[in-house]
This record gives sequence, structure tokens and C-alpha cells, in this order.
Amino acid sequence: MDQKLQAILQDVEKKIAAAKTEVELQSVKVSALGKQGILTSLMKELPKFDPAERPAIGQAVNRVKNQLSELIENKREEIKLQAAAVPTDFDCTVPGFAPRSGGLHPITQMCYDLNDAFRSMGFEVFQEDDITSEMYAFDNLNFPPNHPARESMDTYWLEGHDSGNANEKLCLRPHLTGGSVRYMQTHKPPYRFVYPGHVYRNETTDARHERAFYQYEALIVDRDFTFTAGKVMIKSILSKVFGRDVPVRMRAGFFPFVEPGFEIDMGCLVCGGKGCSVCKQVGWIEVMPGGTPHPNVLRAAGLDPDEYTGFYVNIGLDRLVMMRYGVDDVRLFHSADLRFLQQFH
Amino acid sequence: MKLSLDWIRDYVALPKDIDMTKLAYDLTMSTVEVEDVTYLAEQFKNIIVGQIEEVLPHPNAQKLRICRTNIGDEVKVIVCGGKNLEPGMKVAVACPGAVVRWHGEGDPVEIGIAKLRGVESYGMICASSEIGLADLFPAAEEAMIADLSAFDAVPGTNLADALDLNDCIIEIDNKSMTNRPDLWGHYGIARELSALYDLPLKPIEKYVPQENIDKFPVTIEDDEKCPRYIGVKMEGVSVKPSPFKMQSRIWRVGMRPINALVDITNYVMLATGQPTHAFDADNISGGITVRPAKQDEKLLLLNGKDLTLKTDDLVIADSEGAVALAGVMGGSKDSILPDTSKVILEVANFDSHSIRRTALRYENRTEASARYEKAVDPQRCDQALSFAMQLFAELYPELKVTGFNDLYPRPLACNEIDVDMQWLEKRLGQHLTNDELKEKLELMGFSVTFDSGNMHVVVPSWRSTGDIAIKDDIMEEVARMYGYDNFEPTPITTSFDGAINQLDVDLVRHIKEYLAFRCGMQEIFTYPWMKDTFANAILENTDEALKLSTPPAPDEKLIRCSLLPNLCEAVAKNERYFNNFSIFEEAQIFSDKDYTTPYDPSEKLPYMAKHIAGAVADSTMTVENLFRTAKGIIEYMPRMTHMEGITFRKEDKPVWADNTVWLNIFSGDTKIGDMALLSKKASLKCGIKKLSVMLFDINADLLVPFKSRTNKFEHLATYPTVEFDISLLFDTSVNWDAILKTIEGSRKADSFVKSVSFVDEYKGKQVPEGKKSLTARLTIGADDRTLKSEEIEACAMKVVKLLEKKFDAKLRT
Repeated sequence: MDQKLQAILQDVEKKIAAAKTEVELQSVKVSALGKQGILTSLMKELPKFDPAERPAIGQAVNRVKNQLSELIENKREEIKLQAAAVPTDFDCTVPGFAPRSGGLHPITQMCYDLNDAFRSMGFEVFQEDDITSEMYAFDNLNFPPNHPARESMDTYWLEGHDSGNANEKLCLRPHLTGGSVRYMQTHKPPYRFVYPGHVYRNETTDARHERAFYQYEALIVDRDFTFTAGKVMIKSILSKVFGRDVPVRMRAGFFPFVEPGFEIDMGCLVCGGKGCSVCKQVGWIEVMPGGTPHPNVLRAAGLDPDEYTGFYVNIGLDRLVMMRYGVDDVRLFHSADLRFLQQFH
Repeated sequence: MKLSLDWIRDYVALPKDIDMTKLAYDLTMSTVEVEDVTYLAEQFKNIIVGQIEEVLPHPNAQKLRICRTNIGDEVKVIVCGGKNLEPGMKVAVACPGAVVRWHGEGDPVEIGIAKLRGVESYGMICASSEIGLADLFPAAEEAMIADLSAFDAVPGTNLADALDLNDCIIEIDNKSMTNRPDLWGHYGIARELSALYDLPLKPIEKYVPQENIDKFPVTIEDDEKCPRYIGVKMEGVSVKPSPFKMQSRIWRVGMRPINALVDITNYVMLATGQPTHAFDADNISGGITVRPAKQDEKLLLLNGKDLTLKTDDLVIADSEGAVALAGVMGGSKDSILPDTSKVILEVANFDSHSIRRTALRYENRTEASARYEKAVDPQRCDQALSFAMQLFAELYPELKVTGFNDLYPRPLACNEIDVDMQWLEKRLGQHLTNDELKEKLELMGFSVTFDSGNMHVVVPSWRSTGDIAIKDDIMEEVARMYGYDNFEPTPITTSFDGAINQLDVDLVRHIKEYLAFRCGMQEIFTYPWMKDTFANAILENTDEALKLSTPPAPDEKLIRCSLLPNLCEAVAKNERYFNNFSIFEEAQIFSDKDYTTPYDPSEKLPYMAKHIAGAVADSTMTVENLFRTAKGIIEYMPRMTHMEGITFRKEDKPVWADNTVWLNIFSGDTKIGDMALLSKKASLKCGIKKLSVMLFDINADLLVPFKSRTNKFEHLATYPTVEFDISLLFDTSVNWDAILKTIEGSRKADSFVKSVSFVDEYKGKQVPEGKKSLTARLTIGADDRTLKSEEIEACAMKVVKLLEKKFDAKLRT
């Protein structure tokens, strides 16, 4: 009898373990403990046994019965906890809901990246007005009186303010450098600041030329500063922005407000300097002009050029952003076209 | 500017096997940017000289011929449509693999073996235009084949070898040499290379006219605009083609050979950078006068342009009137004609600015004016004269110089500069010995002497027209000759005197990041000018707007005095693609008023202010919800961006705003902006059709950032609080602000009402006309115990009673 009970116990335990739903579990329960169930019919056979054995057998059957009841109830709880929140054929490959779409202009993003990099090196961020005078746009910067850039085909002069002395002529700033002089006039040296902002040129536009673009200027003015220290600065900044070591070279270049002037190139990150279509096969990409501020610029800022010197760079952010993402038309930046801008979230 | 390596080699002995990659690199690093280096012969790959042996008719085509052509090792059949095919003629044969342009047009095509009307042709016999040689072998008419019979080349010779075109063309970025007029021309670059590589430069012998030659009459009326003028009168010349080598060189660097007389002047210009001009002497009456043009003086140029001159222009005149626009272009009267036999050669120096202005005024920039604009030094006239006279003598053995004059009223003074040696070393960050300095500088034509810690430098004439004027220029010369990349990088020292703290800069960034990342708005950039359509749609008037003298377009003259017109333009533009979006812009606005002198006391700058403006546009949301969406953006901005609070009032409706849905934004008592629904009328004018648009515009210069975070921690409630909603019927004239203030005003320090918030309001069928049902949520609790439900109810009913009394409201049940 004991063996028989043991066999039943094992058999029903297996069935309980195998049950996956409450319905299945219920049918196991009925088949074992129900009125027609196997244990119930065992109890019905009790009178056939010797009365002396009956109590022991009855107890044994009851024990198994209780044991199984507990197992079934435990299993029922387990099945309940495992019940699916959705039908089991739910498709997990459907896409998630997009978070709110909004973002900064890709040029602002680059600008903030640079701000962070420069600030970590102790630079202030300087901001200035978009309208300036010829005095600050050209005279202070050592542009000769007849420099072509002063003419209306290159600079946006304001009507009614387009003649007279340099302090009376007003224009949309053609570059940021004039504003740097304003900073120097109102602060005490040594200087270490960056100056981001829009500049405007009267140009015919195409995929590579724009009338409004974004420049980023950085200027250090100090005693005993060699131009090679400038190279260290550029290298640190570019490496931070691009997240890896960027080779930098400086070569001869000319700009009226620096002496000496440089064109600063960075190693092409697309081909690693081997030469590709992005860098026109030379392995280098021209990223910024730079140089030591011209003595006349320092004088305009009220400094003695024999005492002070420095280093200046002007980064064209449009170009850098175009490189970052492979944008092929500079005019898109001012298009306000969300189909374009939303790509940079 | 294009340069021929072959030509440069005339003046400097570059090694035969020079590495062009290195040469381009060295020039780029030290002097000017080399944009491209190309081997001329590459374009003639698989093009050879062939000799036609027999010309036969084509069986299937009238216009085609079959040419049995000797191409060196063998004779091939080539089908050709040329009209001038003759046995014995030498021609250019494009063999399979060569690249040509059909009839000189379209994209380059690679030649193969092909059947032409049933006859197999081994490549093609080329017209000059098909292999890019139209300028050197001009075809008299269409379907004429280039005749190479004059060249001493056996059949099978590569075309580049036959025509001596194994040259390398160096292209230099013109922009990179704006300050180096001395580099224009092959001699200038040769001189730079001789300095870079320490190689000898071929000297140019000065031309000395024969004695007892008549003085050619020249008068200079304005010697500021014309510091030097050399005139040479010559006889025994004629119009004929120049030698092939000369033509070829002119062609290689991008100009077109014309005839020997014109070619000499161009050749000299390309060699030295000094423009020269040849007049037909028969058309010049009397001598030459260089003078300012008379007001409204007429001049018909060589290219047919009929000019009416101004007194600013400088002309070359004879006794009858202007014959040429000085430094820009000759006139048609004096030009070289087919029967020219006497010429006057002009080698002159003109002021760069005057030439530039004149060339621009008449939109007539030429090779000559482009060079004069860069400030050519007057000493270079000597070089050009020497080259020119040598070429005239070579090309015209019968030449006779009959008049000469060299007027040089304003001789150029070479710059002299003193350089403090200590200063130099400090700036270079490196010590160079006197010998090193002297060597580097003298290679470039400077002369250098030393005197106790001072270096005295005399600048050569060709660097004295503005390029080298101060000691910093000398430092640059030394540094670039030494090689910028050869200096040891020195680290930057930092001083540790305080962290950067720029609250105003940070605030703008916080606001932009808040708008973008918390409010889901997209930042845009627009131009600083406005289109008339949008300015007129949005602004009351544009009286105070500044204007551009030369606007990008006639309807874009106005400079923005508000960010809203461009913002609306952006909304209109994006309406095609999106039915709900929000955008913002941060930029300055400008007005022709409130001039200030923030820097130099003599400089007056107009009103400028940094604004932040945004648009929330939606075609599906109700206007009520759109309003609340936009208002929420402004309302939460101070808290999220850490600035002084802002309030809303209705004082002054913006002209573009809807009559009801508008607010002015205040910081304290200062109005800092507006927020409103764009009116139907303005929307229509902007071409916005379906979208409802909420706009806001804030003067960011008036926002006050907190110095640090100011909000204080509040203890979490120890005892539970309960949210209790109350709904009352109010007159529709009662606004939420009044209700809120009433409830808050009644709160005492120990009040159980912890806070009040708006849930919703309802107008419609369920409530009587002129009434609205408003639901507010009270948060009720005590600091020292858990309230009983009767206490909570009593507290809420107290508020209800207050509102009923104050606003004649009725509790809804």
C-alpha cells in the first residue's frame, strides 16, 4: 500500500510541475483529489483492509492528500504571478515611442563643445554685437585704408551709415576680430578668451559660400608667448572636440591682423592622413587661420606690442560641422528647415 | 595661378629629378598654398603621332575616309571624317586607351577599337579640340584635323614628346599670395625656390638702350598713380605667329596665344608678373601722356566695351585723347592690327588701388589689372623690359628701336628695419645665431648687418611695397624659412587666479538647453535681414529698422528689428512638412535709435539687444491647449534656468497678436517681452494656412540670472496629505488668477491647505449661459497629526464658502 501511495505521489507531483495554466492544474487536482479522484477511490477501498491497519492507512492517504493539496495551491500562486500582462503573442519588435523632439542647432552644439573645451583651459566666453563700425571692423585691425574687404561688394554696410569717417560707418560685422579689440579695451591683460558669433559677407552664395556664417575666435594675449605654444593649444582643443589625437601643422598664411600669420591644418580624420577625397588627397584639411596679433592690433587695444604678444585662431564652425557630419551644402544651416535640423538631435 | 615647372627651371637650377610632392609641400608650408600639381603628359596618354600613308573612300559613308596610317611599328586602318586628310600628313592618333572629347565637347571618353559603318577603326585621328589643343592648333573650320607635319617626330612618337609637353603644372591658390606681389610670375617663384633650397638664381641683365636714340615723348601728370613709365618705340615688327615653344608655354599656364606681338607682352607678364602693353605706333599721335581721365571722357576698349570715364580713372592718352585704360586694358584704337609694323611698348607701374577701383567700376578685371592690384614694385619694370627687349630681338631680327624713355618720378625706397635680437629670440622661443639669421635672410634678397644686440635689415625692392615693413615681418621671414614645424612646441602656462564665472553667458545657454531638451523645441538660425512680406505682416511699421546699402535681394533690405518675422517665415516654410512643431531662435535685434558709445567715444552704435523668440505651431491641438503649452514654456523657464521670476500682465497688445490670446511678460516692473497667438490676419499675410501659432519674444538682455541656486529644500510631509477637488460655478468673467489669489490670501501660517492647483474649467451645455464650472485641487494636511475626515471636509468647505461669498459662486454637487 505504501508503495502504491508513493507511486501516486510521484506521478501527481510530476503532473503538477508540468501544469502551465490554472485550468490544467485544476484538472490535475480533480483527477487526484476530486470525488472520482485516485486518492478518494483509495479511501473507498479502506473497508477492505484489516481494521487494525485502517487507521495507519487512512492517515497515510490523508498525509499524501494534504501534501498534494499544498503543492497544487503553491503551483496555483506561481501560475498567477507568472500570468502575462499582455497576450503572449505580443510583438516586442514594435518601435518605442520617440521622446520629445527638440534640439540645438548643430553649429550651437559645436560651439558649446568648444566652449566647454576652452573653458576647461581657463578661457572666458565673450559675446558682442553684430553691428560694428569701420573703425573696429577694419582700422583697428591693420586693414589698409583701401583694402578690398572694406568695399560694399564684400561687406554689408548700413544705409545712411555708409560714408564718412571710420567711426561713423556701420556694417554687419564681417569677422569677429574687431570685437576682440573691444574685449581687450575693457579688460586687463593677460587675456584668454573665446569669441563665438555670426559674421556676414556680401557674397554670391552656393553650396560652399554663405552670406552669414559662424566663426569662433580664440585669443591669448600675454607676456612671453611664443607662437609654438599656440600650436599646443590648437592640438589640445581639436583633440578634445574630435575625441582623439589630431595631428596639427602650421604653415605660412597672410591676414592683415596677424604677424606672423598661419594657415592651420589638421590631419584628415577620414583617411588618417593617407589621402582621400575629403582632404583632396593631401592628408590635411585647412581648418583655421591663426597667428600672433599684429602690433597695430595690440596698439589699438591699448597694449605695448613690445611687452605683449599672443596667439589668435579663428575657427569656421560651419566648415567644422560640415566635416563632422558630412553636410555638403553650407546654406542648409540658415534654411530653418526642420527636416535638416532634426538630423542632429 | 598656374606655373610651368619647365619655365621655372629657366631661372633656377632645380635638380633634374626633383620630387614634386616635396616641392609642393615645401612651398605650401613656407610660402603659398599649392593646390594641385599635374603632369601635362598624362592627358596625352596613348595619343601618338601618326603619318597618313593612304586616304581611301569609305564604302558605306560619304563623309568618312579610310586612312591607312603609320603609327610606328605598323600601319593601321583608321576611319576619319576630317576634311583635310592628305597622304604624308602627320596627325595625332588617339590609340585605344586614350581619352578624348568628341568634337571638343561633353565628358571625356575612352577610345577603343570600334567599327564605324562596318569598317573597324584602330582609334581615331584627332581634331585639336578633341585632345584639348584647340588654342595651340586652332582649326580653321569644323572637321579639320590637327596638322602636325611641321613637327620633327617619327610616327609612333608620343604626342607629349613630339610637342615637348613633358611639363609639370603647379597651381597656386591666388588667395594665399595676396600679400606677396613678388611671387606673381615664374621669376618670383623661382626666386623663392632658390631661397628655400639655396640654389642659384639666374640674374637678369638690365636693358640698356643704344646711345643717341631719340627720347620717346612721355608725360606723367599724376605720379602718385603712375610712379614709373617706360615707353619704347620700335620698327621692323609684324604680326605673325610666335614660336611654338612660346605659344605652348603661354597655353600651359592658362592663357591663349594670339600673335607674336601680343604673345611677347603676355609672356613677359607671366615670366615677371609685370604687365606690359604694345600699342600700334601708327595709331598713336604724338607722344604718350599718363593722366587722369576727363569727366565723361569716352573710351572704346579692345573688347568692345564703350566706357564713359570719371576723373578717378587713369588713362594713357595721345595728343587726340585716351587710347587705353591704364593698367587695365588697351583701347580699340591703338590695338595691334594685322598690318602693324611699328609698336610702342609700355612697361609701367601704376598704383594698386586706383587700378582696382577702375577695374571694378567697369567690371573689367584683366590679367594685367589683377597683377597691378597686388602692388607691383616699380623696380620690376627693369626685369620686364629686359625680358621683352630680348624677345623682340629674337623674334624680329630686323628690329630697330627708334625711341626710348624711362620716366621714374617716384623711385621706390627700400624699407630698412631694426630688429632687437632679444625680442626676436623671445618671440621665436629659440636662439638662432647671427650667421643663421644672416644666411636665411640674405637668401631672400635681404641685406643684414649686426650691431650690438641689433639686427639691421634692408628689404629688397620686391618686398618693399607693403609686404615687409616692421620687425614682426622679419621675424615671420626667419620663422618660415626655418620652418614653422621645426620649432619645439612650448607648453602654455596657466595662472590659477579664480574660476571662470559668467552668469549671463550661462543663462542664455541654460535657456536654450531648456527650450531644446525640456520643451522639445528646435533651435534655428536665420539671416539678420527680413523679407518685406514677413516684416510687413508682423510689424506695426519698419520706420526704425536699419537698412542694408547693398541688400542680398531687393526685398531683403531691412535689418531685423524683431526676431518674429523670420520666425514666421520659418513656420510658413515648415508647414509643408509638419503639422506640429516648435522652434526658437536666439539672436540680436537692431533699431535705428538709442545710439550709444560703449567703447570708443567717437563711435556711435545703434540699439542692439539679444532676444530669444519661439513659435509653437500646431494644426490639431485646440487653441486653448496650444496657449497653455506655450505659456508653460515661459512660466517654468525661471525655475528651470535659475533666473529671477517673471510675471504676466495684459498692458499692451502686440500688433501681430490675436485680440484675446495675448500677454505681456514682465520681470519686476520691466516689460521684457510678449507672448500671444498669431492673429488670423498676420497668419494669412505670412502664408500660414492650417497652423495655429503661439509666439513668444523675450529680451534676453533683461533677464537676471541667480548668482547661485536659490530654491530651498522642503521637508517631506510627516503626516499624510489629502487631495481634495472642489468644483464651483463662476461667472465666466472670474479668472483663475483671482481665484488663486483669494485662496492663497486666506491661508494662515497654520492652515491645513498646503497648496492649490488648477484642474480644469468647463463651459457648455452642462452649465448655464455666462457661467463656467471650475475645478481646483486643494492639498490638505497638518504638520503634527493625521487629520480626520471631518476636519478635511470642513477645511475644504471653508474655502468653498470663501469663494461663494467673494465671487458669488455656487458649489457643484
